[in-house]
Amino acid sequence: MSMKQLRIFWTVLFAFMILAAFIVPFTPLLGDFASFYGAFLFWNVFAIIVIICLGLITAKWRDFDER
Amino acid sequence: MNASTIYLALFLYFFVGSIIARYARKKMGKGVNDFFLAGRTLGGIVAALTYSATTYSAFMLIGLAGFTYIGGVGALGFELIYLSGLVLVAFFGPRFWLAGKRYNYLTPTELLGDRYQSKAVAAVAAVAAVIFLIPYSAVQLIGIGALVEGISGGAVPFMAGVFIAAVIAVYWTWTGGLRAVAWTDSLQGAVMLIVATVSVFFIVYRGFGGFNQMFAQLEAQYPAWLTVPGPGFFNIHAFIGLTLPWFFFSLSNPQVSQRLFMPRSLNQMRIMVMGFLVFGFIYTLVSIFWGFSARLLLPDLEVADAATPALLGLDMVPQVVALLVMLGISAAAVSTVNSIILTLSSMITRDVFKNLGGKADEHRELLIGRIFVPLFTAVILFFATLRLDLIATLSVASSSGLLVMVPALIGAFFWKKGTAAAVLASVLVGGTMATVFLYTGVYPLGLWPGVWSGIVSTVLFIGVSLFTRAPEHKAEEFIGYIQQELNDKKII
Repeated sequence: MSMKQLRIFWTVLFAFMILAAFIVPFTPLLGDFASFYGAFLFWNVFAIIVIICLGLITAKWRDFDER
Repeated sequence: MNASTIYLALFLYFFVGSIIARYARKKMGKGVNDFFLAGRTLGGIVAALTYSATTYSAFMLIGLAGFTYIGGVGALGFELIYLSGLVLVAFFGPRFWLAGKRYNYLTPTELLGDRYQSKAVAAVAAVAAVIFLIPYSAVQLIGIGALVEGISGGAVPFMAGVFIAAVIAVYWTWTGGLRAVAWTDSLQGAVMLIVATVSVFFIVYRGFGGFNQMFAQLEAQYPAWLTVPGPGFFNIHAFIGLTLPWFFFSLSNPQVSQRLFMPRSLNQMRIMVMGFLVFGFIYTLVSIFWGFSARLLLPDLEVADAATPALLGLDMVPQVVALLVMLGISAAAVSTVNSIILTLSSMITRDVFKNLGGKADEHRELLIGRIFVPLFTAVILFFATLRLDLIATLSVASSSGLLVMVPALIGAFFWKKGTAAAVLASVLVGGTMATVFLYTGVYPLGLWPGVWSGIVSTVLFIGVSLFTRAPEHKAEEFIGYIQQELNDKKII
């Protein structure tokens, strides 16, 4: 993938995940699911996936040591 | 808890932090870059802790726990979507860092002014930041005042707490600049996280017998608190209105975005980002568990912000734990306030004073910057004495106002057609609109001020840019340089 395609890929992926984080817990699917396994677990899994993605992206940040 | 114990604890906290600040002063070089940016040499761990301690304020254990108390699990979504806003740093972090090194930027508003080739842009953005961040800082001091007053049963007056916190913040900042702020933040960040985490285990295991049991009780007694909109506080409009400005916090708040200039390498910035994410995830969960615990153990509180002080007053919480949590919350507030004071001082010095024709001599610039440290502290102290209500609302209000900077920042790195006139229009109109809607309580179409300020500033930035002339040469050179560097290193 070219750098441009990579930028578009990550932008679209993050946009999708963040929209899902706003919408899914408010849908009837999770909106009425009064349990640890409902919105609570959903948002935690969302955050963990975001952290893993950022770990992958920032893994490239290693060639700039100045000292 | 008696007053002398609280005063002694605060004194010890001040004493230890002051030793660190004095040591930082010895390591401090000369010049504004050293005072305000620690010479762009921060290591990843210190950078992560100062980024965390600056971002997370008294709002977390008081305001967010309060949101959970009245609104349930929506508070978790609100805060974790904020945390996911660090995806912006994945894109903007290396860009800020590269631009900062190449053009020697001291502040994010200086970056805006130079990129759009307009001193007015830098000055207006800096003044807007002052307007929105002073109430936010005052609220931090109010938080400490209310907390010490609450847990001492009034024996330590509100004003004593506010004043002590202000003295601590100004002394450390004045003594050693950003290096002192970053090092004391590191200690405070570690204290905040460890104390809050240990105490939540204490409460959950003593109060309920474990996390499973706590959730079982929630499901049985307060099922709505595990859903959204749940009890009603987090209806979709409120959720978006609160969350949207916070999602952009890492860009919109200059005390945070200025930290993108500070790591000594991009590798260290990586440690900063990943360290912050782990810190933020744990601290968020801890704050939410505080709120859930208070909901089950203290169901009749009238004021949501009282959830944490009331929990600390329960017999199941040993006094020493309560005292440490009080210090942890105070540390959260002080570490936010001193970072804001330093950032605002750098912005006023570089982007307002220097742009108004002040002498460019670095020694003089540093002197003026340092003078603004106690001046801003005095102003924040004054605002705190007004004792405005509800920490959470005011904290979010500042982000609604600062959101207007975001279109200009995105445009600076990604859109060559953006213009200075468009930045001024978006910041001035968007900022004014957020303030007016907030203070009048008028929410047109049910949308919150942060949503309106985001929409209006974006539309104005794009619209006005299309009808005015962009600084083409600068845009080409600035964006071209950064793209080239990033492409060479295969960074997105």
